[in-house]
Amino acid sequence: MELLNIEGSKQTPKINFNADTGILEISGRSIPENSFEFYNPILIWLDEYVATPVEKTVIKVNLEYFNTSSSKYILEIFKKMKALHVEKKDIVVEWYYDEDDEEMMETGEDYEDVTGLPFKILQIEE
Amino acid sequence: MAEKSSDIYYKEFQNLEQSKNFLKKENYDKSEIQLELKNLVENYEELFDQVKIITKISDRLQRKLDKTNDKLNERNIQLQETIDALTKAKVGRKATTYILFFAVALFIVSEAFIEPRIESWAALKFSVGIAFWVGLLLKFVIAFMIKPGEMIIEKTLLKRARKEIIKVEA
Repeated sequence: MELLNIEGSKQTPKINFNADTGILEISGRSIPENSFEFYNPILIWLDEYVATPVEKTVIKVNLEYFNTSSSKYILEIFKKMKALHVEKKDIVVEWYYDEDDEEMMETGEDYEDVTGLPFKILQIEE
Repeated sequence: MAEKSSDIYYKEFQNLEQSKNFLKKENYDKSEIQLELKNLVENYEELFDQVKIITKISDRLQRKLDKTNDKLNERNIQLQETIDALTKAKVGRKATTYILFFAVALFIVSEAFIEPRIESWAALKFSVGIAFWVGLLLKFVIAFMIKPGEMIIEKTLLKRARKEIIKVEA
């Protein structure tokens, strides 16, 4: 499977999905003008990955801010990964937040509650 | 309202359409109803989860934006105060320079032209001793005029600087 690398911009997050290592990273800011256009290739890539995953999958999320439509797509990503969890595959979500960003920490907790995926909520020391 | 396949709620729209189409059927089989209801409940549950989390997150991120906005306003006020202080200091230095030149010029004019005339006038009118004190008084008057003069110049320059800042901001 090919790597999925998307450079980050002021409006879109950096995406670095590696099917060989099982490390899927999303970082930056997600306020794309067209969320479908941005997230659809990611969801397609994930469909393929879920069919042939590696032993351990780590989803690293380090988002500074995202808009409402992005929050729906992030949920979609987690739901797709839920399939691996249901199949008893080793999967963990590492949710990073800045020391003074209480909102992002709580958002991670909400995603954990709704998706039922194992989350590690990790604080980034400044 | 037809949704395009590129809309973010396309999947939900399709699910709804499927259920609507099912309702249009004339005959229902019990197992078919059960299956359709099961699908509907599952889709509803998923949508309900989405609505819950999206609403929560959206409100929270709005709070984050408000906080950032407040911080930005605070920083703007601090920045404005710093600009004011800098402008005041700059204007103060300018005013001191002006008044220094003015005082030196006044001193020279006073020493060269005014004081000898006043002293000779006072010497003629009163005595040489009194003329000396009159000259000294004149120097005191000049010295005491320096500070108020500096303040007036500073105020005028500050007013002008503020007007320029307002003009630039507009």
